[in-house]
Amino acid sequence: MHISDGVLPIGVVIGSGIASLALAAWSVRRTDSEDLPKVAVVTASFFVTSLIHVPLGPTSVHLLIPGLVGILLGPSSFLAILLGLLLQSLLFQFGGLTALGANALMMGVPALLCGLLFNKLRGSTQKQHVIVGGLVGGGGTLLSAALLALLLFSGGEDFLGVAKLALVAHLPVFLIEGLISAFTISFLYRVKPELLNQRFSALQQG
Amino acid sequence: MVEGQIIQLPLVLLLAALLLLALLSLLAVKVLKSAFVGKQTAQKEPDWSVPVVDADAEGTSLFHRWDVRFKLVALLGFAFLVVATRSPEAAMIALLLSFSTVLVAQQPVYRSLKRLLAMSGFLGMFLLVMPLTVVTHPEDILLVFSGLEFLPFNLRGLQLALAIVGKACAVALLMEPLLATASLARTVEGLTRLGVPEKVAQMILLAHRYIFVFLEEARRMKTGMQVRGFKPRTSTETLQVMGNFLGMLFVRSFERTHRVYAAMQSRGYRGRFPAPFYFKVTAGDWLHAGVWLLLGIGLLVFDRLGAA
Amino acid sequence: MHDLQRLAPIDFDGPAQFEIRNLQYRYPNGQQALRGVDLSVAAGDRIALLGQNGSGKSTLVKHLNGLLPVQQGALLYQGQPLVGEPLQRARLEIGLLFQDPDDQLFCSTLYDDVSFGPLNQGVSLAGMEPLVRQALAAVGLEELLYKASHHLSFGQKKRAALACLLAMKPQVLILDEPTANLDPGQENILVELLRNYTGTLICITHDLLFAYELCQRAVVLDQGQVHHDYSMAELVADPPSMREHGLDFSFRLAGLANHKLPPQQAAVAAPEAQLVDAVAAAETTAVVELADYSYRYADGTQALNGITFALRAGESVAIVGENGAGKTTLLNCLMGIYSGVGTHLFAGHLLGKQQRRLLWRKVGMVFQDPADQLFCASCAEEVAFGPRQLGLPKDEVIRRVDAALERVRLGGYQDRVPLHLSGGERKRLAIATVLSMDPELLILDEPTAGLDPQGEELLLEILRQLPQTRILVTHDPFLVAELTQRTLVLHRGKVLQSYSTAEFLADQNQQSLNLLALSYKSDCSREILELQHRHEHIHQHEHFHEHLHRHGELVHSHPHQHEHEHEHVFTHSHVADSTEHCHSPRGRFHEHPHPDHEEQEHSHEHED
Repeated sequence: MHISDGVLPIGVVIGSGIASLALAAWSVRRTDSEDLPKVAVVTASFFVTSLIHVPLGPTSVHLLIPGLVGILLGPSSFLAILLGLLLQSLLFQFGGLTALGANALMMGVPALLCGLLFNKLRGSTQKQHVIVGGLVGGGGTLLSAALLALLLFSGGEDFLGVAKLALVAHLPVFLIEGLISAFTISFLYRVKPELLNQRFSALQQG
Repeated sequence: MVEGQIIQLPLVLLLAALLLLALLSLLAVKVLKSAFVGKQTAQKEPDWSVPVVDADAEGTSLFHRWDVRFKLVALLGFAFLVVATRSPEAAMIALLLSFSTVLVAQQPVYRSLKRLLAMSGFLGMFLLVMPLTVVTHPEDILLVFSGLEFLPFNLRGLQLALAIVGKACAVALLMEPLLATASLARTVEGLTRLGVPEKVAQMILLAHRYIFVFLEEARRMKTGMQVRGFKPRTSTETLQVMGNFLGMLFVRSFERTHRVYAAMQSRGYRGRFPAPFYFKVTAGDWLHAGVWLLLGIGLLVFDRLGAA
Repeated sequence: MHDLQRLAPIDFDGPAQFEIRNLQYRYPNGQQALRGVDLSVAAGDRIALLGQNGSGKSTLVKHLNGLLPVQQGALLYQGQPLVGEPLQRARLEIGLLFQDPDDQLFCSTLYDDVSFGPLNQGVSLAGMEPLVRQALAAVGLEELLYKASHHLSFGQKKRAALACLLAMKPQVLILDEPTANLDPGQENILVELLRNYTGTLICITHDLLFAYELCQRAVVLDQGQVHHDYSMAELVADPPSMREHGLDFSFRLAGLANHKLPPQQAAVAAPEAQLVDAVAAAETTAVVELADYSYRYADGTQALNGITFALRAGESVAIVGENGAGKTTLLNCLMGIYSGVGTHLFAGHLLGKQQRRLLWRKVGMVFQDPADQLFCASCAEEVAFGPRQLGLPKDEVIRRVDAALERVRLGGYQDRVPLHLSGGERKRLAIATVLSMDPELLILDEPTAGLDPQGEELLLEILRQLPQTRILVTHDPFLVAELTQRTLVLHRGKVLQSYSTAEFLADQNQQSLNLLALSYKSDCSREILELQHRHEHIHQHEHFHEHLHRHGELVHSHPHQHEHEHEHVFTHSHVADSTEHCHSPRGRFHEHPHPDHEEQEHSHEHED
């Protein structure tokens, strides 16, 4: 779920915009400049996954997967997410251009943390990878939801109810994303483990 | 807890109001549907299609002729000024202004309405939740329905929600005139002239291009799963298949990145895209941009003075 | 023993355009792709780069414009190694056409894509528009100048990618499987375009007829080495050596020749065939039957228009037609993925919308690109996916998985990762995933796309043994002839013809309905068949070969040359009607057993 224009107070809009610009600049620096076009192409595939609907009882939810993006792209993930969100607001034109910074923080910060945590904890066996991947993937979504709630709450205590609701609404999504992340990691571990090495990171390439 | 001014109302009124709302939305859906007929037949499958950004890039309206750089600065500036306002009145005026741009830019109204419809979930939540959950201030007016005393309906919450919805819709309506009136490549080129790094601009264009390629791939893979009997359900098995599906999509996209990069290198790519556009600025561009920014500032001043 | 032909057959004056010496390449994963390639390419050469999948062709080509760095050995382009400034310059002179045009069209509109290369070359903005228009006009896409590439068909994309290269006026054009997935009409356009190209042409292809048409020189790679380097005519006249490299496509020529019915015969055959049809139809009910079936896309395109046809149990039908004729749409309807208007019967039962959704239980479809069908982490899971969806018990699933894998000659592959298999294996795996569901009707969409001739032959063998009722969609006349009895010709969503395959092929040969655009291909086939005219006779031969031999005490093995006399089977041509035996120059170099020769002591000159 993304925040649309006009929800956040203007101070938060500007502040989050500046923060995400700074993070994006850091993310660009941490990506091999040769690899920027590659990150762009991969971003397109994340965009496509975000259109996939998973049935949930009578309704369906679409995937956010900040955790998976972080796991696959590491430090470049923030850039990819900002790009993906920009494209989303360009293509679907729900607006959201003024809230872009806030949305990028909401998805991108968890992605960065997930990438870091996955790299630290993943161990060497498939089982470890899958468990850590699932936890990190689910955790990323949970963190996104928490940030969403926090951002909404920044509008003042009037927004507490909405913030709580947004958090609760994400609980089932958290479960689904955790499981899907675990399955995706398990697939990649068996099929193409080198993708789990966050290859676009400038420091990894050494 | 502070008590607001309470207005007691019978429950019947609530039911009547809900019924009226339901009827109205039903009517709206009917009208919209009939507007869509001929434009697009209803699709039964979940629609994975991605709309085209620059569907009406060829046109002659005021917005088509406007230099993209000025258009970007003016309309984005206007959008920020709009979101800075607080009152529902200002939001409504902004909404009207935005709607008029859709008409001036000769964009099909049904498409803009469709976009608004897509936002209705998120915004509807505000309309529904805010009046019930805002903190009660002494000057607030509360509607309390008999039988539902524990759930007072705060009119100030409704006002807040309306302001949000108004602003969100106003900005969303600006998107069509802003983006659909020039080709995406031109718009992005305009962005780079405004100081967005060239590399980032290329990334936008590249990602945009490959969304369509991966969508096609995803669609074929989905069909491949379908013909072997896969049906999404609420089950772990479905999630496992989805996990594989995502994994496969990522593997294919990573493999493609290398080929695309090789293709770029093969044609002499050395880290920058050659720029194919000229820009020519006229006095009209300045005037047009000035008018928009003044309108935005005027709106903000009205909003703050009105509130004071 | 294998005789290595190492001499460049075409003499050229002046410096070579490409000079490759002992080029070796090892991928980061340890796979040794090139093991010492030696090759000289003259400006204006037209080379077909042949070899089995995995023989190193693509790796070699990636060296030619510096996409892969030289690890060991030397590669000179116009006398200079490809690094730094010369590399950048070389890239602007060498055009490389990728297999998938989507990799190459990375800009938002065709105009941007075509102008990308010339802008890098430094062409001014003012001169750009006419240049772009000219390049697109050359491939027949001028009217699509400002279109985004995702609105184009595959064939159009392929031509657009070529236009991107032609706009750069390349001195060297390298093509990677240019005919893959093209319909014959599109292929003909491509052949025309390439025939007029005057620079150096290097073409990776499995399609020997295409190579024969366009190239004079054939370079055969095997396990990362150049094994043969001679003229195209010599290659095709030498079936044993082609077989050795998995290139033998003679089976295709033979197949086509058998189906060449004289026109009168075809005319006589027609009513008979219909009679047989009618009798057979009365005996068995149709597996699938469509009557007045139409389908219209959401955007209003009428993809199928009043289709009527029936398919009896055990029958094999080919569906042919140009790209966009509605073949894929028809398949999707038969699978129940799309639901059109009209009568659709399966095994005599009328299908409503609900039943159409269950068609997957009875109808199996093998896609053109196995990548669209394979999404599991092991072959066993992959093949078990369908049976599991059918709700079969566990041991039955396992039994079916094993049987299906065995059937496609992938027994023992249960734990292998589908993504790591070769193209041919993946294709067969995709077939196994469908067979394990035990379908009553099997639909194959271009089953041999992207396979080398050897892989193709194996696949054909497997397909011939399958008992299922089959629908085959293909552009390949050979497959139609081999695998089907009846042919359905689609054109713009309508059934144009529905008759026996023999009649269809007769039609093709007469070119009255030249749907498969056989003209250049059948000309090539005929020429090649003539070249392959073979018989035995004795000659005094000078041999260049490698075998163990003895010089006094010294026993060693290396290629050497000497003369001796014995009998040979020769494949060769007769010039015009003369009975004189004219051997191609490489007739001297060939394989033969050396029963006594190896024990005999003999001398010859040693170079070092």
